[in-house]
Amino acid sequence: MSELTTADRIALYGGGGLFALGVFLIGLFEMLAGAEHPVTGEGQIVHDAVIDVEIRAYIILAALLVWGLYVIYRVVATTPSVPEGDAA
Amino acid sequence: MTTINTELFGKEFSMPLADTWLAYWLVILRITAGWWLLHAGMDKIWNWPFDASWFVGGAAEGTTVGPFVTLFDSGILLDVVNWSIPLGQAAIGLGLIFGALTRTAAYFGALLMLFFYFINGETGGWSHGVVTGDLLGLVIFGMIATLGAGRVLGIDAYLVETDFVQKHPKLRFFMG
Repeated sequence: MSELTTADRIALYGGGGLFALGVFLIGLFEMLAGAEHPVTGEGQIVHDAVIDVEIRAYIILAALLVWGLYVIYRVVATTPSVPEGDAA
Repeated sequence: MTTINTELFGKEFSMPLADTWLAYWLVILRITAGWWLLHAGMDKIWNWPFDASWFVGGAAEGTTVGPFVTLFDSGILLDVVNWSIPLGQAAIGLGLIFGALTRTAAYFGALLMLFFYFINGETGGWSHGVVTGDLLGLVIFGMIATLGAGRVLGIDAYLVETDFVQKHPKLRFFMG
């Protein structure tokens, strides 16, 4: 993993960045600056989001697509360089 | 003990890894995720016939993955889904538990989770947040595939040493 290709970088930075944004960063923003999360009488937490949760899901989907396309690229365009019988 | 020296996001770092415990947890992960899907598949097989129309035709409608999934909501394509989901889930489960074609099993497990994540999440109004069991499953499948977990106490350890795989190294992408 010492020599990263452009595809590696897109998957690492693009996929990872989008995933971290969708899962953690927007979540942290919602927690700190977002709408309140009142609890109903039945104990259910009401989710009023500042950033539409659908948009968050689309960002996560974009990350998954980046990773998915990277996997397809690796399988189609490269050959594994793992030594034979390399067990963990 | 193995020390991994690598670079990530522009920073170099060393990470000592306890070999035995890494191998151990890879097997635990495989067995857990494998049984998850083997159970889901066998449940449907024991209660045959399985009908996925309520999911691919009803629940999926209007979701992010709906335009693709609802293509399978009737006719022969629904029959394909009705057969491939139970058998596929069972096969993924067996593949993970026994470490056979592990990366292929994990890839299809992740693909299933992608659909479940959006359909379950969106139809439920994301009432449990955006990080759900389906997303965690997807990430775990990604980890199993990335680490090639089938080489630990798995059939893939033998498969990768066969002459056929040695002559066709690309096949390693499909196994641990």
